[in-house]
Amino acid sequence: MMRQPRFVLGLVALVVMLVGSNGTAEAQDPGVMGETPVLLTSCGQSPGPTFVKLFLGRLGYDHELKETATAQDLLDAQAAGTPYMTVMIVTGASLKGMGAAGVSMREELIRTEALIAEARRQGLTVIGAHVEGMDRRAQGAAPGDNSDEQSIDAVMPNSDVMVVRLDGNEDRRFSILSDSEGVPLVLFEKNMEMGDALAKVLKN
Amino acid sequence: MTGRKFVFAACGLLLFASSGWSFYQSRNLEEQVVLSPGVTEVKRLGDYFDGIRGTVNDCYVYIMEGEEPGGTVFVMGGTHPEEPAARLAAWLLAENAEMDVGRMIVVLSSNRSASTATRIGGAYPPDFTIATDWGERTFRLGDRWANPLDQWPDPEVYIHYPSRQYLAYVDIRNLNRTWPGRPDGSLTERTTHAFMELIRQEEVDLFIDLHEAELQYPVISTIVAHDTGEELAAFTSMMLSDMEFNIGMEYSPPTLHGLSHREVGDHSDAVSLLFEAPEPFLDATRGKTTREQLLTGKDEFVVKAGEAGLLYEEIDESGWPMDKRVGRHTSTVLMTLELWTELNPDRPMRARGIPLYGEVLEMGLGHWLHDPAAAPPDRVVIE
Repeated sequence: MMRQPRFVLGLVALVVMLVGSNGTAEAQDPGVMGETPVLLTSCGQSPGPTFVKLFLGRLGYDHELKETATAQDLLDAQAAGTPYMTVMIVTGASLKGMGAAGVSMREELIRTEALIAEARRQGLTVIGAHVEGMDRRAQGAAPGDNSDEQSIDAVMPNSDVMVVRLDGNEDRRFSILSDSEGVPLVLFEKNMEMGDALAKVLKN
Repeated sequence: MTGRKFVFAACGLLLFASSGWSFYQSRNLEEQVVLSPGVTEVKRLGDYFDGIRGTVNDCYVYIMEGEEPGGTVFVMGGTHPEEPAARLAAWLLAENAEMDVGRMIVVLSSNRSASTATRIGGAYPPDFTIATDWGERTFRLGDRWANPLDQWPDPEVYIHYPSRQYLAYVDIRNLNRTWPGRPDGSLTERTTHAFMELIRQEEVDLFIDLHEAELQYPVISTIVAHDTGEELAAFTSMMLSDMEFNIGMEYSPPTLHGLSHREVGDHSDAVSLLFEAPEPFLDATRGKTTREQLLTGKDEFVVKAGEAGLLYEEIDESGWPMDKRVGRHTSTVLMTLELWTELNPDRPMRARGIPLYGEVLEMGLGHWLHDPAAAPPDRVVIE
């Protein structure tokens, strides 16, 4: 029945995922771009930040997830003498997620723009991420629903580096953005390689 | 003139008798369960709440006690019987699963009343048959809502208890809109109340509600997770997407009430997850609503809808066969248990005997449905 090999395989995969390695993430190598602590947030309220949070936690990186983080959060942290060093914004829209947070896409875009502006003012690193593949692209949404692409446009061109799961770049959307905006692009193929990609651009 | 009236009356009677016979047969179809060696106890839902005892929804509760103590998982099939892969996946657990560590509770017909009627005006087949290694097994198809014969009339507006949120009137018969239920409510509300009692009395750690969805519904091929299950669901989604098949994750909206992934987590200590698999049979753009379409998931009109960009899941001429849909559920259950144990080593759960996705695809789900005639009579239950 193969359960034992699958269990072992699962454990091995989990260890690779949790510990990270110098694996096979197909990527540009821009070097370390940001430091901790990281303010992790969403633009579009997809579950992507939860995925990223798992890896940041397992890597031991100091971080905080606030799905609807605002510029005020950055100001408050700075005023408290514990400023964030990096803002990481995960793109991709979820109607369920936005419903849960009680926000619209328009509000998400306004919040994100202000957040990035404040991050720039404080000289923080901004990392844009897209980690759920084509399911979080307009092709995976309802006809006429462009909110996934709106979140990408709001974040990625204004980032210092993009971290993207390879299948989400099927149409080379992020490659084209990288070329045209000069934003380095770090790609990873499997979910379990996300830790490698994050370790390439972040240091504790 | 009298002769004409007689002919019309005779035709009416004929239709009445034939359809009545069909309804009677469907409602009373005996669905057999050959208990897995791992089933250590069979209870009734009424054992947890008297208010459901003796009703059509007083379903069986199959309990598998592990050799070593650990956590308790409750897997629920049959919330919406018209989503048969969910029910069949639970059937495979009841007939095959054995727990090495921890405890598994399985229900196959959580809204049994809904399994006794099909969609009014939907032209659904009343049942379907699965080929096995030794013959075949027939199952009721059922509907999304409890049978109006068991719960009627519906209100003008259904006001969910306790949130007082307004929901569609018909959803007062929808098991996945009546959580957490109430002891003096409608049959469906009493049923969810009974399940909440089961969850509390059996100290369930992890609750899994199995479903299927139309491809035109955005919440498909995914795990919907209560806040307390987000990490587990994210891990499961990532591992399965890398190793077996693509499955996403969605948050359970805190303000959308009545659904298991929200209310079970809010009203008990259990972590609540809901799994969705694709079922083209439910798509509004489907062609003929036949048994073949139900079992193969092949439908040229749904494929056309996909070409027009109207779907949230891929489909081609190979369709979404029942084996594939059932296998997704069994593998997702297994992966969830494995990762649960990683995340909660103080409450481990380890199962065996449950087929993986690849195994169900290779051998067919019928391979894991056992012959009631070959089983000891005390190990066969009429569901």
